[in-house]
Amino acid sequence: MISYFVSFLIMGSIYAMAALALNLQWGFTGLMNFGIGAFYMLGAYTSAILTCPATTEHLGGFGLPVLIGVIGAALVCGVLAFLIGFPALRLRGGPFAIALLAIHETLLLVVRNESWLTNGVWGIRGIPRPFFEMVNPRHYGYLYLIIAAGLLILIYLAIGKVVRSPWGRVLRGISEDEDLTSMSGKDCWKYKMQSFVFGSMVMGVAGATYVHYTGFVSPQVFNPLMSTFIVWLMVMVGGTGNNRGVIVGAFLVWAIWVGSDFLTDFVPAAIATRIGFIRMLFVGIILGVTILTKPQGILSRKRLTVDWYL
Amino acid sequence: MADLLVSGIIYGSIIALGAIGLTLISSILNFFNFAYGDLFTLGAFVTLLFLGLFGNSGTIAGLSFGWGLVLATLLSVVIMVVVVLLMDRLFFKPLRDIGVTPLFMSLASLGLAFILRAIINIFWGPEVRYYSPAIQISRRLPLGIRVKPDELFVVICALVLVALVYMFLKRTKMGKAMRAFSDNSVLAKASGVETNKVIMWTWVIAGALITVAGTLYGIQVQLRPIMGWHFLIPLFVAVIMGAVGSFWGAMIGGMVIGISEEMITGLIQNTFNSMQIEADMSVYKPAVAFVLVVAILLLKPHGIFGKREP
Repeated sequence: MISYFVSFLIMGSIYAMAALALNLQWGFTGLMNFGIGAFYMLGAYTSAILTCPATTEHLGGFGLPVLIGVIGAALVCGVLAFLIGFPALRLRGGPFAIALLAIHETLLLVVRNESWLTNGVWGIRGIPRPFFEMVNPRHYGYLYLIIAAGLLILIYLAIGKVVRSPWGRVLRGISEDEDLTSMSGKDCWKYKMQSFVFGSMVMGVAGATYVHYTGFVSPQVFNPLMSTFIVWLMVMVGGTGNNRGVIVGAFLVWAIWVGSDFLTDFVPAAIATRIGFIRMLFVGIILGVTILTKPQGILSRKRLTVDWYL
Repeated sequence: MADLLVSGIIYGSIIALGAIGLTLISSILNFFNFAYGDLFTLGAFVTLLFLGLFGNSGTIAGLSFGWGLVLATLLSVVIMVVVVLLMDRLFFKPLRDIGVTPLFMSLASLGLAFILRAIINIFWGPEVRYYSPAIQISRRLPLGIRVKPDELFVVICALVLVALVYMFLKRTKMGKAMRAFSDNSVLAKASGVETNKVIMWTWVIAGALITVAGTLYGIQVQLRPIMGWHFLIPLFVAVIMGAVGSFWGAMIGGMVIGISEEMITGLIQNTFNSMQIEADMSVYKPAVAFVLVVAILLLKPHGIFGKREP
């Protein structure tokens, strides 16, 4: 029971990192990133390939330390975001979201089909877990929770710091009115690119944190529902532009998702195999109700105003 | 070569049909509807439901289906129009009344997309389905083109519907109001165009078109619950490529996407085959749409048929 709770907290922390990154991009800059899964997946696979032991099934065998894997994941995601940003950041709003969605689907195709690189749908096994030999395997969850929570706090402090800085005020200006901000002499494109790259690197770190916890990665977990949509739900529930709220939202949504497993007991056996879709319906309805009743987010107490940033 | 062109035209005419509805929604309701792909799936499956009630009742002149399917499609169109109108009433109208931003509407529609897909999966399950188990034999036409009667039917049906919608937009008073609203909604409202009526007709047309498009896709390929989600990216690419709100833009954009997806992957495959490199390029068809949209947006950011910015 307690180990179940620890694993819930670890996954919650990982999702909270991705949600904070999305909050930087969407809540503070107004970039509608529908491709969170692309960076989450890329970070996961980069770190897995860099750190896993030698194998003939896929690219790898570098056996690098986990820390190098995580840094590599952040760098690769940053480079991809930079390259994508050139064409995509010319778009505003909807088309930007569509381009990112398309990138996610394209990367998923590559991961599924290029088995020399990623071992296709079978996935990569035997990914090292940091400090695994140091403790009793039964208590490893506690150790990993400290790592994941530590990373989350680090990311929370870093994002909190940058959004309160003059740089963050420009981002807020862009999300409120881009034309006005560029008329004030700010190079909006540059700021949007920096926010996009930084957020994407954090998403990559979240992906890397995930694979070093599970020790296994396959394309199934990176479907749009579990890697993109649920993160959006976390930000919406937590309150757009509210970092603390977003973290609470992440744990709350993840609790609902994990808890919705109880639905299995209530549905007839004939459709019990489709339980994943019943949970999907459940989560979709939560988003619908949240948006219709509390568009500002369940946890937001007040509308964010300019003086919050001062 | 000619075969690739023919299959591109068939696929392209289905995309064009969907893209025309999507371009109307995008310009008149002023947001990108991410639930549109799953409406495509739902339309095809509702047709399947009615087909199960009537049976195929024979076949018409070499086609793989009979009048049963035609009747089922008509009933499915009626049901789907009711579904989209209900959706608007319960979901999008309250949001419009609050006055949320277009990006927020897009996000809400993404939630709706997951709800629809969950419902489809719960009712019909994830299996692949067909309208008719019959296998068709291709007919030979001049110039070495081979085409199945079904494929010819799909293209003709799509073209007839496109022509009907064009007549509606061009000749009727409501069509004129819709075009006015899409060009400049403020001016249209000031001239006494009734917003609610225009929005209702937009949903009716878009709902009917996407249902027929889904059914045609089901006749041509097969029915899978995920098909609409994968179809969404080509649809959006056609809309953006042809400039949002442009009727001919969506039509030609759809054709260009369909033809280039088939031709580009086919030609690369042929090149690989002749160089004796083992690779399966057909899985990367969806990626072509993405590369195209990036190329178009870099060259002509407002789409091929886009007006220059004032």
